[in-house]
Amino acid sequence: MASAQKKRADRVLSFRMRIGLTMILVMLLVLGGRLFQVQGLDPAGHAQAAVSERLRSIPLPAHRGDILDADGRVLATSVDRYDLVADQAVVDDFVRYDETTKLREEVPVETGISELSEVLDMDVEELTELVVGEDRYSVVARSLTPEQSAAATEIGIPGVYAEPVSERSYPSGAVAGSIVGFMGADGPLEGIEAAQDDALSGTDGERIFEVGGDGIRIPIATFEELPAEDGQDIRLTVDQDLQWFAQEAIAEKSHQYNAAWGNATVLDLKSGEILAMADSETVDPAEPGATDELFRRPLALTQAFEPGSTGKAITFATALEEGTLNPTDSFQVANRYEEGGQTISDATDHPTLDMTAAGIFARSYNTGTVMIGGEVPQETRYDYMKRVGIGEPIDIGVGAETSGQLRPPEEWDARQHLTTQFGQGYTTSVLHNMQTFQTIMNGGVSVPLRVIDSYIDADGTEHPADAGEEERIFSEETSEEMLRMFEGVVDYGTGSDAAIAGYRVGGKTGIAEAAGAGGGFDGYTQTFIGAAPLDDPQYLVSVTVHRPQGYWKDWVVTDTFREIMSYVLSSYDVAPAGAESQAYDGFTGENQDQPW
Amino acid sequence: MSAEAHSMALPERTPLESAGSRAAAPVLRALPKLKQRQKGLIAGIIGLLALALTVVLAVNIHVANSQYTVVQLQNDHRALTQTNQALTEQLQHLESPQALSRAAVGLGMVMPAEAAAFDLGNGEVVGTAEAADSGDRPSGFVATPEAPGDDAAAPVNVSESAAGAPAGILGAGALNTLTTPPSGQNGQEESAGTRSQFSPDELNGGTIPAPSFD
Repeated sequence: MASAQKKRADRVLSFRMRIGLTMILVMLLVLGGRLFQVQGLDPAGHAQAAVSERLRSIPLPAHRGDILDADGRVLATSVDRYDLVADQAVVDDFVRYDETTKLREEVPVETGISELSEVLDMDVEELTELVVGEDRYSVVARSLTPEQSAAATEIGIPGVYAEPVSERSYPSGAVAGSIVGFMGADGPLEGIEAAQDDALSGTDGERIFEVGGDGIRIPIATFEELPAEDGQDIRLTVDQDLQWFAQEAIAEKSHQYNAAWGNATVLDLKSGEILAMADSETVDPAEPGATDELFRRPLALTQAFEPGSTGKAITFATALEEGTLNPTDSFQVANRYEEGGQTISDATDHPTLDMTAAGIFARSYNTGTVMIGGEVPQETRYDYMKRVGIGEPIDIGVGAETSGQLRPPEEWDARQHLTTQFGQGYTTSVLHNMQTFQTIMNGGVSVPLRVIDSYIDADGTEHPADAGEEERIFSEETSEEMLRMFEGVVDYGTGSDAAIAGYRVGGKTGIAEAAGAGGGFDGYTQTFIGAAPLDDPQYLVSVTVHRPQGYWKDWVVTDTFREIMSYVLSSYDVAPAGAESQAYDGFTGENQDQPW
Repeated sequence: MSAEAHSMALPERTPLESAGSRAAAPVLRALPKLKQRQKGLIAGIIGLLALALTVVLAVNIHVANSQYTVVQLQNDHRALTQTNQALTEQLQHLESPQALSRAAVGLGMVMPAEAAAFDLGNGEVVGTAEAADSGDRPSGFVATPEAPGDDAAAPVNVSESAAGAPAGILGAGALNTLTTPPSGQNGQEESAGTRSQFSPDELNGGTIPAPSFD
């Protein structure tokens, strides 16, 4: 009996064991199958999927480089700002600890919002709309300073938090604003910010690590960090203080004549460095929308106009260089001149005068100029004009350049071979005029204009910007003679207000008609371009006023030139030499005081 | 005698069994020694476990505390960086030509007139020096940029109020001090120091956020 029972028990046991064994086998089979699937079929793909499930990558934004002036003062930099964002689903009444009563108090969300409105200086109703609702992401306020954002988040409204953003700051505002340029919502839009974006922006980095199922980093797993490469700082040749001074001076002049625009540009004559490029009105990069579109880019680059009498400089220099003229050659200059059916007349009704070439230049007589320019073949004049850059784009690294317009001689109309001699029939920008004068006054050597001095790496390594190729266009002798003729303009010619006591100053005035939108001329452009000190010319200043209102004989821009040039000479420590003028006589004979 | 009793007490034992118990007897004698050693081992192991537990606890507490310190230091670092940045911004603002010119006018300064120079070579005076015109203040066509983080406060035009005032520290200088609001550097510093910059997500229900990479 006992053995039968034992037998049955054994059978039951073995039956149970079989079930258990079968289950274990099934499980093993499933696991084995899965193992085979994972390890046998596409093991790399599965491993990859597992890793990418765990891998997290955070971008490390690169720091955008600063834009500095010639002395390293900051014109544009990046600062930390915060956007205040509300997760409206979380916004509710809340509890907060009161410092004074030492109690925890219930705060209704309305109270929180009214406190927030004080911090943000916003309307309560407007704010309520942004904070209360169903939206999971509602931007309440943009670009708060760290202090403001701290004050806003300290109120403690649940669901209202600050997101860090990087923003551009322009500490000097509108000083050099059009050169520096500005940023839009999606990136740089104008000026150095846009043209030099590649250098400024750098390369973003990345941080890669693995997280577990709970979202916490696995300490011993993959950790890679590709550091961000910060952008380069860009140092300009612009002097912030001089730029400001020039902007004030030209704004005052433009305001005086109620002109469409004015520009004052200062150049280091020997290096081609632009020290200031000032417009009568300048964009504040922090608020570009507030400024008229015309003034958002440097006028010296964008605006082309007929140069007028300043264009006589290249005509005279060409004649001197080609040997068809000496500064003291004498001419009989009437106030009208006819050639091939075209009549050229002077601005004033002067009597016929016995003048030297220098005198014609100083008094800026068109009639005398065409007598001189006509001696040089027009193709030769055109070549020289092309060689100093007229009709070609001038790239100084800011973008936005105009090339002006100069047609080749075969396309000139019946009058243009005459008008191009005294600065009409073609257009130039302020920088074209500066380049022409720079070449003539710098011993005949053209040095490319530039506004970028150097690129500075994040570690302080400096890379000087490409200064371009110098090119000799006129001889030293021509340059010397031209300087003495420029001096005559200031001594006894049309630019007498430009004189600065103690320094030899020379330059050329210009007035040209401005073409209107509907064809024909309906305004003027008044210019003076001059250099000092003439013993060794170092600085070149141009003042241009476009469409001044009033009578042309009343317009004077030489006083603005004198103001800016005096500032330049004293702030760059150019001592007055008190040297005697070396201007040529303007008239043949003893009497140098002839009627205009 | 005792051997007799012993053999009598186990009459049914097979020779094999008695032979086995006889062989086991010396081993039994060695047991007490072994037991004592084991007691020491167990005490040692328990002691070691307790020590390990204490060490683990201590390390854990230290790590937890250090994490709070890390968060606190990161917090301080961010606050100091931002204070530094705010002060730098202020400095740059004050260095701007517009702000300098305004401050100069506030001190009663005017535009310079013609200056002369001494020629050290021959002792002559070059140029003609002129006295500055007390009414010749710099023009204000270029707008002064907004002071950083100061949207609400309108810039005070000191030049207008200073126009009739005598120069010097008691005149325009004092006027400048009165009309220009205090720069509030200390206040700013304070608020920057006690700021809490953490979002509810970062805090995750606590008061100090967990350490993070950024």
